[in-house]
Amino acid sequence: MAVIELKDVRKAFGAVEVIGRVNLTVPDGAFVIFVGPSGSGKSTLLRLVAGLEDATAGQVLIDGADVTHMGPAERQLSMVFQSYALYPTKTVRQNMSFGLEVARLPKDEIKARVDRVADILKLGDYLDRKPRALSGGQRQRVAIGRAIVREPVAFLFDEPLSNLDAALRVEMRVEIAKLHQRLGATMIYVTHDQVEAMTLADQIVVLDKGAIQQVGTPMELYQRPANLFVAQFIGSPKMNVLEVRPEGSTVTFADGNRTDFGALAPATLSHIGFRPEEVELLAEGQGHLQGTVEVVERLGSDTFAHVALGMLGTVTVRMPGNVLNIAPGQRVGLGLDVTQLHLFASDGTRLS
Amino acid sequence: MTEREIRARPRNRVIVNKTVAPYLFLAPFMLLFIAFLIVPLIYAFDISLYKKAMVGGVKFVGTDNYVKAFADPKFWEGVGVLFKFAFLQIPVMIGTALVFALILDSGVVWAKAFFRVSFFIPYAVPAVIATLIWSYLYGPAYGPIGQTARFLGFEAPDFVSAKWILGSIANIAQWEYMGYNMIIYFAALQAIPTDLEEASVVDGASAFAFATRIKLPMIVPTIIVTVVFSIIGSLQLFTEPFLIQNMARSIINSNYTPNYYAYTLTFVGQQPNYAAAISFLLGGVIAVVSYAFMLLANRRIDR
Amino acid sequence: MSIVGKTSTSPKFRRNRWLLTGVLSLYFLYTFMPLFYVITAATKSNQDLFSTFGLWFAPDFNLWDNLHTLFTIQDGIFLKWMGNTAYYSSISAAGAALFSTFAGYAFAKYSFLGKKLMFALVLGAVMIPQTALVIPMFLMLSKLGLTNTAFAVILPSLVFPPGVFLMRAYIDDAISNELIEAGRMDGAGEVHIFSSIAFRLLMPGFTTVLILAFVANWNNYFLPLVMLNKPDMFPITVGLAQLYSTAISGTGGVLLFTVVMTGALVSIVPVIAAFLIMQRFWQGGLGAGGVKA
Repeated sequence: MAVIELKDVRKAFGAVEVIGRVNLTVPDGAFVIFVGPSGSGKSTLLRLVAGLEDATAGQVLIDGADVTHMGPAERQLSMVFQSYALYPTKTVRQNMSFGLEVARLPKDEIKARVDRVADILKLGDYLDRKPRALSGGQRQRVAIGRAIVREPVAFLFDEPLSNLDAALRVEMRVEIAKLHQRLGATMIYVTHDQVEAMTLADQIVVLDKGAIQQVGTPMELYQRPANLFVAQFIGSPKMNVLEVRPEGSTVTFADGNRTDFGALAPATLSHIGFRPEEVELLAEGQGHLQGTVEVVERLGSDTFAHVALGMLGTVTVRMPGNVLNIAPGQRVGLGLDVTQLHLFASDGTRLS
Repeated sequence: MTEREIRARPRNRVIVNKTVAPYLFLAPFMLLFIAFLIVPLIYAFDISLYKKAMVGGVKFVGTDNYVKAFADPKFWEGVGVLFKFAFLQIPVMIGTALVFALILDSGVVWAKAFFRVSFFIPYAVPAVIATLIWSYLYGPAYGPIGQTARFLGFEAPDFVSAKWILGSIANIAQWEYMGYNMIIYFAALQAIPTDLEEASVVDGASAFAFATRIKLPMIVPTIIVTVVFSIIGSLQLFTEPFLIQNMARSIINSNYTPNYYAYTLTFVGQQPNYAAAISFLLGGVIAVVSYAFMLLANRRIDR
Repeated sequence: MSIVGKTSTSPKFRRNRWLLTGVLSLYFLYTFMPLFYVITAATKSNQDLFSTFGLWFAPDFNLWDNLHTLFTIQDGIFLKWMGNTAYYSSISAAGAALFSTFAGYAFAKYSFLGKKLMFALVLGAVMIPQTALVIPMFLMLSKLGLTNTAFAVILPSLVFPPGVFLMRAYIDDAISNELIEAGRMDGAGEVHIFSSIAFRLLMPGFTTVLILAFVANWNNYFLPLVMLNKPDMFPITVGLAQLYSTAISGTGGVLLFTVVMTGALVSIVPVIAAFLIMQRFWQGGLGAGGVKA
């Protein structure tokens, strides 16, 4: 349906730059998710695509056509807002028809489209209600329906699920995934919830401080994070990171402990990272690091042990199932697979 | 229908974009604002720099009118009256308004809605008519206050005598505007979240302590704003003395307040140039006093 | 409220309730006394006004005579005054409320060049003494030959800065930015968004401003006093004040005393009625303005 490209896009509010020189291509039909902490510029970037904000510099292209100076509607995009932004004085049907009426579509065409979409989203019984008479989930559906009826070239979602309770959020997440499969439309979705990002996205764009940190599939991001920021932002619990100093083939930890990493320690190495499932809990005295179990969290499916390593900080260890033979206060050793470590240079970038 | 077809459809172009829109929305108000506020001010400032000469029409005199006004005892007497009036009236009015708002907000009393609405009703009565009614009430022969006093065997004071006149005018202002301020405080008090109240109950605070120590400080910004508006209103006093003058010619002269003075200068004395200078000087006094009050109040809050 | 609710059975609470209700009742008597006086005075003959107790009715009920005199004096000029007041204040209030709403919307929902400066100007306008404005306005309008016309009273009244503050605060709360953006995504122009989405949402605020502007204009005295000198153009305020001066200076005869009070009664009844009927609006609106200010 539509390829969306950003070329050297910048956005500044007065002297404050919120987006600096972003280049990005969203392929046709892709589900792309922007993630990042608050203030990372992810919403601003989405609003630049939507045309709700004007770029300070650079170009926005849709299917190769420059839309940088076009208004939101001319870009043929639909957007679902965090607060749903339903028109409170209009009924569900009027909410969904409004954009089509503005575009001067024939009345019967409008009715046909609204009815069809209401059918898909199971909104048929609510068409004559006002938004305030709907539940949160129903409002969310109406907001999505309003986006669909316009048959846009791409959909934009701005944290659409963050106002829903946990159970409903999971349900709506699945529905949005189904919707993407059914419509095959290009979708850009902003969230700060990395579970949403991992489960929904074809491609994730990680943003921090107005710059793209990494673009890739969820698994690429998880397995080969491009830098320390991505490494710690993607994955829950987050990746364990320890500061080290390489000396030949050994590395020295901040507490003076040394470990032989063989040929794996490049000269610029400054941090090593390993996911909670990439570290093994061993008996005291064994493995590469020694520490004390502080807290044990039992989720049933997994057990997390938080192990204090003195001045090195805390390391989280994930074990499948309910592991019974550990308790707080226990002295343990930690075993790393030195061939699987994520290595980062002092500027935070990944060392392959 | 596919999206290609929609794209081909002639759209109704958005002519008013969001850059132009705010100016369009502001235009009617701002044009009138300029025509009936900015322009008259500039005009007034302009004429305040001229003087009608005995012969040869008007001539440019620069700041002469201001120099004269600055040294004009009639102007400063008027300002003095206003200061006395403001110091007498504003604290009483704001004080009663606050106390009543706190009482109504605490919910202790019966008939809350009734008191709230009835205290506000005088605000709907035009100041002219309020002044007329009170001047009847003040009347020595037919006024019911005098009648009651005589019935009880003593003589009521002469409300329009030099000694009582300012109090009599202040009373009219109290009657008219107390309820207005009370309603504003009441709304501000009601806007304070109830979980705060619950927290203070848990802390063991009494209703009185809660009202005075927690709620009152929270509406201080609102109080400051209303006091500033009261100062501005008080310093512009005109209607009440202008009408009461009918009853007390010997006490209220034509320069009793600066606004009154400017009015007389223009329409009786035929000196609009000098009147303009007086008005500007009064504007200056109002700005200085309001600003000084805000500065003082804000410094108190910061501390 | 819940605090006292929990202890409403205690003797201390009951004593406070009596005491404070008593205090408020005393102030109510003070508030009500002048209004009651207007009613009694309007029902008396001039002789009774001076000879009977002010705060009670005279045996001789003279209201109809007074009304008759009021509405026939000077060829029924009082009716004309009422009509003028209604005309001036309804047009002024409608225009003032509408323009304040537009301006408040612009201030609340857009960022544009000169926004801070313009808002500061509007805010500063409240400090300008009436005479500093109205007198030059009179001099200017008299050059244009516009004094003694309805324009001279209505046009300046269309500028109602408090309405702009109130609407700005109200719109800030009542209309989310996302709602306006949803309209933009749907392809509606800014004016269309205002008229078909925003306006109905800001109706309560609009109504408050309408009432406040109406009362301000109904009560206006100085502007018409300066601008108008033909008695048949006067609003009630200027007309009644003039009638009162005539009464007290004795030139029109003592006869006018009760007529002035009857006129006062007739002119405040509509405003008070409007206030009582529309209290939901002004109470909410004053709150919004007050809390935000």
